[in-house]
Amino acid sequence: MPQWVKEDMGATSLAFDCDAELMLRVRDGDGASFALLLEKYRVSVAHFLYRMVQDQPVAEELAQEVFLRVYKSRESYEPTAKFTTWLYRIATHLALNWLRDEKNERGQERLDEVAEDGPVREVADRAPTVEHQMVRQVKLEEVRKAVAALPDKQRAAVLMHKYEEMDYSQIAKVLSCSESAVKSLLFRAYETLRVRLAHMA
Amino acid sequence: MNCPIKTQENREWLLEYSAGWLDRERASMLERHVETCPACARFVEEQRVVWDALGQWESPELSADFNRRLYQKIDRAQPSSWLLRFLHPLWRPLVPVAAMCLLIVAGVVLHTPTATVNPARSHVESVEPEQVERTLDDLQMLRELSMTPAQEANSSRPM
Repeated sequence: MPQWVKEDMGATSLAFDCDAELMLRVRDGDGASFALLLEKYRVSVAHFLYRMVQDQPVAEELAQEVFLRVYKSRESYEPTAKFTTWLYRIATHLALNWLRDEKNERGQERLDEVAEDGPVREVADRAPTVEHQMVRQVKLEEVRKAVAALPDKQRAAVLMHKYEEMDYSQIAKVLSCSESAVKSLLFRAYETLRVRLAHMA
Repeated sequence: MNCPIKTQENREWLLEYSAGWLDRERASMLERHVETCPACARFVEEQRVVWDALGQWESPELSADFNRRLYQKIDRAQPSSWLLRFLHPLWRPLVPVAAMCLLIVAGVVLHTPTATVNPARSHVESVEPEQVERTLDDLQMLRELSMTPAQEANSSRPM
């Protein structure tokens, strides 16, 4: 997304945040508005969580918890920020907590295990040769491992920047830090990824 | 323009440019610099590799019953329908009044002396000795039944 579009969106997003409007309707008891928000964001939230925790059943459980919390806190909802900022703040909080607990319990080995059996779940190309598919899966595994090896906050920042196309100020709000801190996080993360994935050129 | 890598000035432009998100004006400024700066040129080249690699990483599809499971959790998290009706905003002001009425009625019932004799209670009192007698007989019978043959022999042996 072009930077000027992002900046423009950032400036006017609160005024025209139709998601916040929908959420206000949910607050007033409109279940259909909740269904709309769920339909609009469930895939992106679940994908974000999957890339954070790299475990599909866990990602789905966490995604459900995100929407459950959205629903439960509908009565206290105030549109002080963009709806997506609030939504991803909940998602990131849950993912970081899960990762912290997981690390406490089993260390880093689970991520490696998941990465090993993960490529089976990837969608195959239309008519790939076996060799082509194997090369692709090896590459994907490397990407997953490289992302998994990033510190949690750096990983969250990269995923929001790359896949959710969030601007720096929104990522900063989600992670509760300054914009300059987000830029530093992203630069350090991408620097690590450039080193680890340089051979994929 | 100054080198974003050396001066740390506008270095996020390098990321945006590599992603193809930088607007045309800034992109052309950066392009002119990149042509003369090997460090920035290498940064852009390597960053594009990372960007493309990340772009190939797809996520698995969501389960078909994702929504159903979510709504089940929402239902479980909600108070039951009668409680919801009871706690409806229209009824809420009446809840303390109803509680007060209930307390008054309970107080009146508990403190009113009972002048009439309860016939059921008197009936129970009249049959009580018979019941006690029957219960004692039953206990005796049970004790005899639970005795082993050896114990029975001992108990029937004269002292």
